Amino acid sequence: MSGPLSSPWLTIRVQFVLAAVFVVAAVGKIADPPGFAHEIHNYALVPGVAVNAMAIALPWLELICGLALFVGLARRSAARILGVLLVVFVIALGINLARKRPVDCGCFGTSKVEKTTEERLRDMKWAIARDAGLLLLVGQVLGATRRDAGSGL
Amino acid sequence: MRRESFWRDAVALVALSVAAAAVSNLAAGPERKLRWVGSYAEAAPPPSSKEPPAAAASAAPAPAISPSAGDAGKAFPPHPDKPWLEISGDDVALLRDRGALILDARRSSVYRDGHIAGARSLSVWEADADDKVRGLFAEGRDQSAPVVVYCSGGECEDSHMLAEKLYRVGFDDVLVYKDGFPDWQRRNLPVAKGDAP
Repeated sequence: MSGPLSSPWLTIRVQFVLAAVFVVAAVGKIADPPGFAHEIHNYALVPGVAVNAMAIALPWLELICGLALFVGLARRSAARILGVLLVVFVIALGINLARKRPVDCGCFGTSKVEKTTEERLRDMKWAIARDAGLLLLVGQVLGATRRDAGSGL
Repeated sequence: MRRESFWRDAVALVALSVAAAAVSNLAAGPERKLRWVGSYAEAAPPPSSKEPPAAAASAAPAPAISPSAGDAGKAFPPHPDKPWLEISGDDVALLRDRGALILDARRSSVYRDGHIAGARSLSVWEADADDKVRGLFAEGRDQSAPVVVYCSGGECEDSHMLAEKLYRVGFDDVLVYKDGFPDWQRRNLPVAKGDAP
């Protein structure tokens, strides 16, 4: 990537935006792990035995990666992990959308607002669009910091 | 700037996250704590019943009234072949009047905001759920007596999940209040707030 899209000025701001989104998302879930476990279970994609471990650990992974992006430490690895998470979120939402199974996204913690099936399905589409937008930001960070890449992927 | 190694950094980030998560979970109070290994039944449709017992209400919407005098003799026999049966608000009101055990499967914070008067909190999502279920067993209750469980009605599956847990420890007359607490409120039936049943 070259030109204005890979400028340090833009990259640092994109990092901050990604960091802010994931830190805020993580805090809501860390505050209520049972609520997040409930949301994960509702997706009907994760085996029951793995639901709790995912609900406990995933928000912390989002928080740590978000903070890493914020301070610019291991930012490529953090961005890649967040990118993988976003792809997983999009697939999980997409599968349930295809099943016409309305689920609360759970992206920013537990929703206390009662929603209709139609509202939930509409929100799922918006969540997919938002995650796709965040994936573009991850792509910008990875593209602009390619020269920092060492061994490994 | 130091060159990054994806795998080394990724492993460090994941390890740090798991460690922080473990400490956080260890320090969490009972409402926030989770067991690392969950024991949730998969979301399943209601058990098929060739011929519902006389006690079990059909899935048809219940009239918004208190149980009629004609229901007074209604029986709710055990159903050891099925983990749970769904019942209506009328049946729940009848069972409550008879002193049946009623369990609220919603989160305890939601329970405190309002619950069926007399219902006990047993949130299926909180870490002590299995202990509480075993506690019910240890109380020496008649396991063939009706136990009503409810959550928020609609798409809420918590009551069914709790019913599964109760069935697994031997309760064989678990009845799920299908329409849940919102229906109870609509009927203007007794509601209590706070931690006490």
